[in-house]
Amino acid sequence: MTKTKVPAGPDLSVYIAGIKLKNPVLTASGTFGYGEEFAEFIDLSMLGGVIVKGISLKPIVGNPPPRIWETPSGMLNAIGLENPGVDVFLSQKLPFLRKHDTAVIVNIFGFSLEEYVGVAERLDGAKGISGLEVNISCPNVKAGGMAFGTDLKATFELLSAIRKATRLPLFAKLSPNVTDVTEFAGAARDAGCDGLSLINTLLGMAIDVRCRRPRLANCTGGLSGPAVRPVAVRMVWQVAKKVSLPIIGMGGIVTGEDALEFILAGASAVAVGTANFINPLATLEVLSGIENMMAEQGVSRIKDLIGKVSV
Amino acid sequence: MPSNRLHKATILTHKSAGRGYYRLVLKVPEAAAVALPGQFVMLRVSETLDPLLARPFGISSVPSKSSIEIVYRVVGRGTMLLTGLGSGRVLNLLGPIGKGFPVPDKGVTPVLVAGGSGFPPLHFLSQQYGSRAHIFIGSKDKQCLPPNGIIESFRDTTFKVHIATEDGSSGARGMTTDILNEFLKKMEQKAHLVLYACGPHPMLAAVSRIAAEHSISCYVSMEERMACGLGVCMGCSIPMISGGYKRACKEGPVFDAREIEWGEQIRLPIPHKKQGF
Repeated sequence: MTKTKVPAGPDLSVYIAGIKLKNPVLTASGTFGYGEEFAEFIDLSMLGGVIVKGISLKPIVGNPPPRIWETPSGMLNAIGLENPGVDVFLSQKLPFLRKHDTAVIVNIFGFSLEEYVGVAERLDGAKGISGLEVNISCPNVKAGGMAFGTDLKATFELLSAIRKATRLPLFAKLSPNVTDVTEFAGAARDAGCDGLSLINTLLGMAIDVRCRRPRLANCTGGLSGPAVRPVAVRMVWQVAKKVSLPIIGMGGIVTGEDALEFILAGASAVAVGTANFINPLATLEVLSGIENMMAEQGVSRIKDLIGKVSV
Repeated sequence: MPSNRLHKATILTHKSAGRGYYRLVLKVPEAAAVALPGQFVMLRVSETLDPLLARPFGISSVPSKSSIEIVYRVVGRGTMLLTGLGSGRVLNLLGPIGKGFPVPDKGVTPVLVAGGSGFPPLHFLSQQYGSRAHIFIGSKDKQCLPPNGIIESFRDTTFKVHIATEDGSSGARGMTTDILNEFLKKMEQKAHLVLYACGPHPMLAAVSRIAAEHSISCYVSMEERMACGLGVCMGCSIPMISGGYKRACKEGPVFDAREIEWGEQIRLPIPHKKQGF
């Protein structure tokens, strides 16, 4: 009796900083809330993981409107880190996420080293959290409001302090608003981070020329969306060449092909962000796009493509 | 997955309605079946990345059980591109979205106040609950009023239409809020009145003040720039007196006017214009 060989489906699993993901598609912080709004549209258990909207020690109400402005193939945002605070996250938001078979990575931030450490400590023992993504791009109010993530020494000190506060896998979310992102990647590695997440938004501005005012109440904001993708891909590539920490790549991913750019550049996983605003099914479309491309090229394991751009 | 609010909507008719407005009727039975006055939809006017974001439009009516109507004018790139789309075109639509106007109780006389291009949700409201309603429609001048077809529709569905233009080119001369105030002052009994307003935020702030002076309930439909319409981008924030913000797309767009921190909302920038432009 002949045995018919059924080809196995593509293996989409990836390991990143000790976390096993069923597939490389995550959601980017700030674009997916805490998952509840998307349950209407997708089964969250199909995602590799959810990186939640950033959490601080105390609730933050955010900036006055206007908080967003559309730009060519992108948008500016100055939401102002609005979030309900770590206590409400633990009691009201995390339980919903834990009902699903998907990695939960909690983005954290603060306005002083103590605040960052405080929120990391609160999350350290919580069940159901796979890792922390540290948003280092916040201003340090104790140092005149200079952003941690644009100062190498401040970045190292911050991440070292958070490292001591938790055993959870730590990803440093790098700011692109620096001269050499690889230096900051190195600082994160030296501080004991387990992985890197890049890029965060690019600093931008838009002006209403009739009213002669900035479009955002905050004047400047973060640029995201397809417009930033070439910058993000370049930075992932540069960092992957220099620092051997696993990378979650993000910046304007809308399709599976976009995701593969990041993977080939060196990312082990990707995060879909702004695309979620224009299509609630974007994450699943990116996932099936990756699968289609793998079939087209005869690739059976996504991990075989990580860093495989030939230069 | 069970059904959700993401639909393919087919353009049935798309016509210029006068005064710069367009009336767009979309076949989208799942949304038409559940749409309530005060709710809105997000429409992607292109399948490309230009423009990137969907645009919000208040639902103006449900002309049949399988279609909804929106009435809009060109205010930017998205609406400009929309005007070029003809019947048969299929668009991605998210909706209906948000909390609509509270249903007027039996015995209530609704008092509707429409300013600028805020009339569509009130148009929907008047079709369902307009028979006893007064509607106050105001604008800078006759050219900025809603299209005649809409005004006629209000005449059919409401008890009385009150028009005011600041320059007196149509209806009474003055601000909508002034003629509203005069109307309310003349009413002996006010307990059965409920205000429903939609329009520029400074107008809504003024209506809110008038409502408070006359001790009348007032519901306002607020708008703010939004990226997603789903409740996650946190862009469409409306400042609350109780502190912090609520989302126009989730906790709104209709709010009890007393909840709103009107101070920040009045701060509207004014375009620089040479006289006569």
